[in-house]
Amino acid sequence: MSSRLVACEGVVKSYEEERIRALTGMDLEVDPGEFVAVVGPSGCGKSTLLHLIAALDRPDAGTIRVAGHDLVHEPNLDHYRARHVGMVFQLHNLLPTLNALENVQIPMFELGIGASERRARARRLLQLVELTGRERNRPPQLSGGERQRVAVARALANEPALLLADEPTGSLDSEAGRVVLDLLEHIRAAGGTTILLVTHDVAVADRADRVVRMLDGRVETTASPTAPPVALPAEAVR
Amino acid sequence: MSFSSLVFRNLFRQRMRTALTVVGIAVGITIVVALGTITGGLRQTVGGWLGLNGADFIVGRRGSADFSFSTVSDGEWKAVAAMDGVARATGALIRVTRHGSNPYFILVGVRPEDLAKAPPELVSGRLPRPGTTHEVILGSRAAASDDADPGSTVTIDGERFRVVGVYRGEDVMTDSGAYAPLDTVREIARSPEVVTAVWVAAEPGTNATRLASDIEERFPTLVTISGVEDFGKVDQGIAIMDALNLAVTVLAVGLGAIAVMNTMIMAVFERTREFGILRAVGWRGSRVMRLVLTEAIFLCLVAALLGVVCGVLATKGVMQIEEVQGLLEPRYTVDVFVRAVLIAAGVGLVGALYPALRAVRLSPMEALRHE
Repeated sequence: MSSRLVACEGVVKSYEEERIRALTGMDLEVDPGEFVAVVGPSGCGKSTLLHLIAALDRPDAGTIRVAGHDLVHEPNLDHYRARHVGMVFQLHNLLPTLNALENVQIPMFELGIGASERRARARRLLQLVELTGRERNRPPQLSGGERQRVAVARALANEPALLLADEPTGSLDSEAGRVVLDLLEHIRAAGGTTILLVTHDVAVADRADRVVRMLDGRVETTASPTAPPVALPAEAVR
Repeated sequence: MSFSSLVFRNLFRQRMRTALTVVGIAVGITIVVALGTITGGLRQTVGGWLGLNGADFIVGRRGSADFSFSTVSDGEWKAVAAMDGVARATGALIRVTRHGSNPYFILVGVRPEDLAKAPPELVSGRLPRPGTTHEVILGSRAAASDDADPGSTVTIDGERFRVVGVYRGEDVMTDSGAYAPLDTVREIARSPEVVTAVWVAAEPGTNATRLASDIEERFPTLVTISGVEDFGKVDQGIAIMDALNLAVTVLAVGLGAIAVMNTMIMAVFERTREFGILRAVGWRGSRVMRLVLTEAIFLCLVAALLGVVCGVLATKGVMQIEEVQGLLEPRYTVDVFVRAVLIAAGVGLVGALYPALRAVRLSPMEALRHE
């Protein structure tokens, strides 16, 4: 039994009858507690990889194991999504009719958590993302950074082992982006949550323990962002 | 936040669309309730006819379009009365005539000696005496309408009668009518030697059902009516009302389901991305389906409530028509309201099933890509 939290091997995924080959044999391993950034040019398959690990889609070939779940053969992907992963999208993807407190509670329904516990946990999470006092605000009443922080709180609602973030700062200004990244780091440090983040941004990738560079649907290099050979060429992250 | 508050909010997003759908379904439910209460009232009237003269069943002419058109000859009446097991066979001629504001005034012609054997419940006065020709007893509604009491004189169908008693009828129609001697009513109706039907009471220890079949076997052109459900053998009115009721119900369900389906398909289409988000955060397909179905059923139950209220008001409105007042009294029975609620819930389920399945069948990724 592998101790890896995420283990992808030879993952292939294509769209439109194989005209678009998003992943062409992707291998990736992530240890528990790691903060890994995935970078690469547009269309290299970063987001596809994240979506497959989030079980939003299934691969055409290869294996993906996350927290002991074989995502290729797992019959109940809903339960996996609810219990083991939290997802932060580039666009916050909050439900517009619900306020911040209610949006954070949404994933908890699936675990059968009682109403009072849901509310209490959502309040704690909003406190964690420094949105105390904004609980009753709905998404249109929040700034872009605040929305994204609500999305982070929602992703943590069921205390997942793995937090997946798809360009979480992509739609934010630099200050709001910095706050979100600080938050992710804090979450990792405080709770040991493993973070797998996709980004174009060098500064964002530099915050990770490890940077995985993708090209044409597979890993090109893996290295620590602080180690000299791993410094990302600007064209690779654009 | 509870699941139901989520449902509630989703419905309130498009207030106008939700309101119009509710109104559309409520109109159908209104008609179902109004027809149900009116049909129930008609059935009660028929039940009242069956209970007349303390009978176990009625013998009438097979295939009559309307009960008042049924004719049983005196010969047949006598033959029925002479059959083994018959304790009493009361022939009655029913004359439907306009009296005052009541276009369906029922004048029942019965021999006074027969009436005395199974009299209606007298409120005041006495029954017509044998040998008299123009003595009448009035139902309490008819008496109130005519402002008549024992000792008064009333004119029915051009004939003057002395009111000798007032009775309480078992249903609004008989309570709004009168009993008079058979021969007099025959003269008024110009129907000698026939009665409309014969009310038969079986002897104690005799199986009334078997007696009824014996009569039908012996007189193939006659039918026996033991319950409201048999009434169609001599009157198509109830059958027509039942068919109308069924047709309206089917239409209400069909049109309501289309309205709900339209609303829910639009809602599902607009919220496709949201369903993708719900699936992405771990909601099971069945929970998403339950969300859509619950929204539709909630919408329909609100429509049912509105429809029931409007149905009762519509019935009360119909009952303001003078001509209807003497014909029936609406029956607000539980089954009418239960049926309305079940129809509404059924409409919700049927109408929302396809949209709900559509919401569930989309993969989370497809749904998230939806703009």
